[in-house]
Amino acid sequence: MDFDFSDDQEMLRDTVRRWVERGYDFERRRAVVKGGGFSREAWQEIADLGICGLQVPEAQGGLGLGPVDAMVVLEELGRGLVLEPYAAVALVATSLLKSGHAAAGEPRLQHIAEGKEIVVLAHEERQSRYRLAHVETTAHGSGHAWRLSGRKIAVPAGGAANAFIVSARVGGAVDDAAGIGLFLVSPGQPGVEVRSYPTQDGASGADLVMKEAGAIELVAPGGAFAALELAADTGIAALCAEAVGAMDKLVTITVEYMNTRKQFGVAIASFQALRHRIADVKMQLELARSMSYYATLKLGEEPAPRRRALAQAKVQLGNSMRFVGQQCIQLHGGIGVTDEYAASHYFKRLTVIEMTFGDTLFQIGEVSRRMQTTAGVFA
Amino acid sequence: MDLAFTPDELAFREQIRAWVRDNLPKEISDKVRNSIHLTRDDQQRWAKILGKQGWLGWAWPKEFGGPGWNAIQKHLFEEETALAGAPRVIPFGPVMVAPVIMAFGTPEQQKRFLPGIASGEVWWSQGYSEPGSGSDLASLKTKAERRGDKYIVNGQKTWTTLGQYGDWIFCLVRTSSEGKPQTGISFLLIDMKSPGITVRPIITMEGAHEVNEVWFDNVEVPADQLIGEENKGWTYAKHLLAHERTNIADVNRAKRELERVKRIAQAEGVYDDGRFRDQIALLEVDVVALEMMVLRVLSAEKSGKQSLDVAGLLKIRGSEIQQRYSELMMLAAGPAAVPLDREAIEAGWQPDQPAGAFVAPLASTYFNMRKTTIYGGSNEVQRNIVAQTVLG
Repeated sequence: MDFDFSDDQEMLRDTVRRWVERGYDFERRRAVVKGGGFSREAWQEIADLGICGLQVPEAQGGLGLGPVDAMVVLEELGRGLVLEPYAAVALVATSLLKSGHAAAGEPRLQHIAEGKEIVVLAHEERQSRYRLAHVETTAHGSGHAWRLSGRKIAVPAGGAANAFIVSARVGGAVDDAAGIGLFLVSPGQPGVEVRSYPTQDGASGADLVMKEAGAIELVAPGGAFAALELAADTGIAALCAEAVGAMDKLVTITVEYMNTRKQFGVAIASFQALRHRIADVKMQLELARSMSYYATLKLGEEPAPRRRALAQAKVQLGNSMRFVGQQCIQLHGGIGVTDEYAASHYFKRLTVIEMTFGDTLFQIGEVSRRMQTTAGVFA
Repeated sequence: MDLAFTPDELAFREQIRAWVRDNLPKEISDKVRNSIHLTRDDQQRWAKILGKQGWLGWAWPKEFGGPGWNAIQKHLFEEETALAGAPRVIPFGPVMVAPVIMAFGTPEQQKRFLPGIASGEVWWSQGYSEPGSGSDLASLKTKAERRGDKYIVNGQKTWTTLGQYGDWIFCLVRTSSEGKPQTGISFLLIDMKSPGITVRPIITMEGAHEVNEVWFDNVEVPADQLIGEENKGWTYAKHLLAHERTNIADVNRAKRELERVKRIAQAEGVYDDGRFRDQIALLEVDVVALEMMVLRVLSAEKSGKQSLDVAGLLKIRGSEIQQRYSELMMLAAGPAAVPLDREAIEAGWQPDQPAGAFVAPLASTYFNMRKTTIYGGSNEVQRNIVAQTVLG
């Protein structure tokens, strides 16, 4: 048992942190938000850091690194509220491409590692409410020729994507996990419409509308749901790490403010009501950090214990993010609710993270359903 | 970064587990698992079993007869004993006063006091709190006046846990009224059989005699029972608090009690009620998060690479969780927890109850647990400490 980072991981952290601090300051981020929430140049800079292929196997030109390395990167990106869909591409889509048919997946992995392509998962539907098996989008066909029809929502950076990984129903009832396949769909073809919109956190999202859209199979029914669940859990671990980075920075900003803002002739950090509040914030931050580690370190487990652990982590993070976000705004007073000041942007990102890959209530249900007699980190 | 224990650590765990299985009396673990009152004899019996093995002072270094375990090994020992249903070791001797005697006592004091603590023969109590000194401990007034080779002690201590069983008591006493309150305090070891000492019970809301008042009326204490230097007692007391480490969170007991919550909820038929079950699920998340926080502290201690200043957080969270599981157990029993059946509580048995749910003591335990956010520095004082580290 060891929670130290290796020297290589510390170097990786420094690399990403330096870019975030120098290359992605608040003013630049504001410009990216104005430009629609995604910047090609910023994406290229992230690619130039050499981290797009973090989890791509070395055979496809990647680094072949693991979950802890991903956590390190995401903590730093979270600190800077980086809008570009790093986790969606380099972790979630990468996980799915690695699970899929080699002929379909490997070329894409290579392109991701080179920073040339943006591939994202499109799984959420208007009625699915975080249930990965609830899929109304249909697929019919065979071999390399498949046709997909349906509508996916909240696709990260959908407008910039070179390809989508789409969950679609090949057979079975609407929530039958065994009847789902995963398919690769390219934009810019007849029957595919990408409707982009800004999201509440300043990033870019899209709905993907498919009418008999051409697709190739990535993972066949039978293996698709397991691959999807693994990718979602990978996404949860990434969100947890990103949230820890964001909360850590937000708390730092808040502490600075409390020590400089004066009311009644003294720094507001001298008021016990506020001191106790920041102690409670610190508690939630450290519980969240602990559970982010847990999420990352449990990713390699078998599906059942992995799912249980990731659900537990997302519950903790959901509660922590809401408390830390809301209280850090409150501790600022009026300035906290303005668009001009950074704190509100942290709050908005933390809010959106809660509603990605299962909100707190959904995950409490998961934990509840999956409880065993014994409990604990090693249960 | 790695969550797994090393093969050596796992082998160590197995060794402890096997020993506990062979040596923890079932009558005692049954009582612990069902919150039945433990007598002095029960406590002493387990303490002496541990003492014989050299493990009552499980955190002691080898030079004082301890096993010399590292942070992880200590944690594994605490976990295995807790999960097996061992009583919590009464901490005042082996966990609290012993490290102070080791660090600041004379070799004579070490030879005189440590063996009795290590064997479990001598029961120690703690004399810190006073009627006027709760969270503001440094305001204490119990006075020790030096006369020749003796101190004359007058005053009153309170909240003395299990002081009715105490053979010895370690006290913070005022030896000077000059300067800051902290600078006039000394650390004295006092034989509770000394003339002038009176122990009076305080009955807490659940009807238990767990805490006491201890009165000192011209009690003569030989000067060689002063630890370290006069007026330096506050420093030694702080050393003691620093030794409290991760055990303060009591996360291992929380894991055991969470299992019990589930057992009682099943027996009472509320485990399959989504609303109730979700509350257990939330507690399970809290327990896992606390355990991860404890493990982070242990890992930091082991590697020495990072420093984690989260002791205050561990106390706050651990105590809140203790209160929560006792609350959920009581609520699981619902109306069956309402009758006050002292006979059943003492006997550990009651008729007409579903298997697995001994509900008679649940409300009493819930009432008793209100103490956890008050003692050991109230959680509000802990928040002050946490805020100090965050805000500077």
